[in-house]
Amino acid sequence: MRILVVEDEPTLAAQLAEGVREAGYAVDVAHNGLDAHFMGDTESFDAVVLDLGLPQMDGITALKKWRAARRTMPVLILTARDNWHEKVAGIDAGADDYLTKPFHMEELLARLRALIRRAGGHASAELACGPVTLDTRNNRVTVEGRALTLTSHEYRVLAYLMHHAGEVVSRGDLVEHIYAQDFDRDSNTVEVFIGRLRKKLPPGLIETVRGMGYRLANPQ
Amino acid sequence: MTLATLRGSLRFRLLLGTLFWIAATILVAGWGLGNMFRQHVELQFHAELKTHLDQLTAQLALDDQGRPTLAMPLSDPRLNKPFAGLYWQIDRLAGPGFPASPAVMRSRSLWDQVLRVPADTLASGEVHQHRIAGPQRETLGMVERSVRIDELPLRLIVAADEGLMIEPVARFNKELWLALGVLGLGLALAALVQVFVGLAPLRKLRAALGRVHRGEVPRMEGAFPAEIMPLVEEFNTVLARNAEVVERARTQAGNLAHALKTPLSVLSNAASGKDDALARLVATQVEMARRQVDYHLARAQAAAAVRLPGARTPLNPVVDGLVRTMRRIHAGRDLDLVMQPMAASLAFHGEAQDLQEMLGNLLDNACKWASRRVEINAGIEQDRLVIRVDDDGKGIAAAQREAMLRRGVRADQQVPGSGLGLAIVDDLARMYGGQVVLAGSPLGGLRAVLTLPAVQ
Repeated sequence: MRILVVEDEPTLAAQLAEGVREAGYAVDVAHNGLDAHFMGDTESFDAVVLDLGLPQMDGITALKKWRAARRTMPVLILTARDNWHEKVAGIDAGADDYLTKPFHMEELLARLRALIRRAGGHASAELACGPVTLDTRNNRVTVEGRALTLTSHEYRVLAYLMHHAGEVVSRGDLVEHIYAQDFDRDSNTVEVFIGRLRKKLPPGLIETVRGMGYRLANPQ
Repeated sequence: MTLATLRGSLRFRLLLGTLFWIAATILVAGWGLGNMFRQHVELQFHAELKTHLDQLTAQLALDDQGRPTLAMPLSDPRLNKPFAGLYWQIDRLAGPGFPASPAVMRSRSLWDQVLRVPADTLASGEVHQHRIAGPQRETLGMVERSVRIDELPLRLIVAADEGLMIEPVARFNKELWLALGVLGLGLALAALVQVFVGLAPLRKLRAALGRVHRGEVPRMEGAFPAEIMPLVEEFNTVLARNAEVVERARTQAGNLAHALKTPLSVLSNAASGKDDALARLVATQVEMARRQVDYHLARAQAAAAVRLPGARTPLNPVVDGLVRTMRRIHAGRDLDLVMQPMAASLAFHGEAQDLQEMLGNLLDNACKWASRRVEINAGIEQDRLVIRVDDDGKGIAAAQREAMLRRGVRADQQVPGSGLGLAIVDDLARMYGGQVVLAGSPLGGLRAVLTLPAVQ
């Protein structure tokens, strides 16, 4: 799961990035509207945290441009102005939720999880696939009730597969969604992560679809 | 209309002034013309008497016995008709060896009456005028002259009823005043029409102002005379400037919010996750600061907008936008948000953002507490816009409802939200002269009834 954080205030941007990263997501940060729009337009993100008051291009404009270009990733607006005029304008521009500053990081993460879940068509905070359960609230993975220890990259791969259970996920997709932009990407590492996950998970859960990618079997 | 308001009325003042001058002019004209005519008639009257006196003098002679006689009778037929109003008389004045004897000769019109003439001495040939009592107690205008014929001193008198003179004057005056009366009435009517037509643009101005005030139009519209147009334009400029000021206040409030809240976010994030005294202090102070900023910003914006006349906000688009927003925000909750059909003509007499703020908070509140269903309906009741928001949540005990409207009281600290929402709604509604009342809902939860000024 990869998140774009757009915030012009450097300290807050850093705090946001850290908070979101700690929650198990890959994070990219943009500090102005133009960069934000470009990144959101060219990269794949599972959600965007978007501050509205941005230099060079305001958040609403960037959001409208994404939506006009059919970029459908869920967007959580961060706004300093706690008035409904702005909230309505944001929602009408295509936002999925809003949060007013100052906010609690826990609340931001809860909203983010809910948005990602809804975007994938999941109703519950717990994703299940056969004997494997993933609790998005605390990043815990259990197999038949037994807790599983995963590295952050392993978690991201599994979480992405579980959000798209039953679908074929290409290696490229996985790379796009588990690494931040500035990370040295190597699609071979994906195979390494998959291999490690297969050892920790019940056999046959992660299928290889030849020439296309991976699929999580036995979705519920 | 009381006297005070009459005195303050431009129409009344104009009319009063004009009518006063019309009346004064007509009175002076009537008095002057009447006088002139009267003098003219008087002159003529006396000239006629003089003519008769001259004729009498000319015809006067003495007969064989030395008694005065007329060579030829005077021609005016009135002299031969008893008491016809025109008389002559010849008195013999006292002389050496004989006493005075009145009426040695007289016109037939005098019949057996004698004109009593004030005794005054006249130089020979001098003509005097007098007013005396006539044979029928009428007032006579009289001229007299003394002549001496063969040493016989005589006084010749011609008199005529002044009524003959007064009657045409009276008739003239009557007609004069009638004519002047008609003229005055005409002028007064003209003044009335002039004032009415002349001041019509002012009435139009008032109507246009009224429409602005009631919020039917945002600025004064229509063509006005050149004298009033600058006023209208000036007023429109002021209106536009007011709107601009409100807009600027909004922007500044927004900028201030942004400037304050971003550092607050940084602080609160830095403190979160730690559990020492400083972190707790920061967390509570940040929360307090946030509430204060929100509350006072909302109030400041509203205070600026409430004084803005001519603000009109159709209800439908605002409710639509908010319902869209609520559906998105509460998308995870499977809520049934029902907007009962409302007339498209419903409009709030106030600023759009304030209506959005009030309704947004009420709807958001209802959505937070509802278990499945939220209903909105609106209508006009007793000339007020009444909006009801119902939810099917667990509701609030009657005793607690009042407290909910007070600043910052929250029914349940677990549900996210500042707890200021309802207090701001209450504040805003009051500023507009409206109110928000909480009650039990037929759906089972809470009902919020928002009453606001409407635009008809």
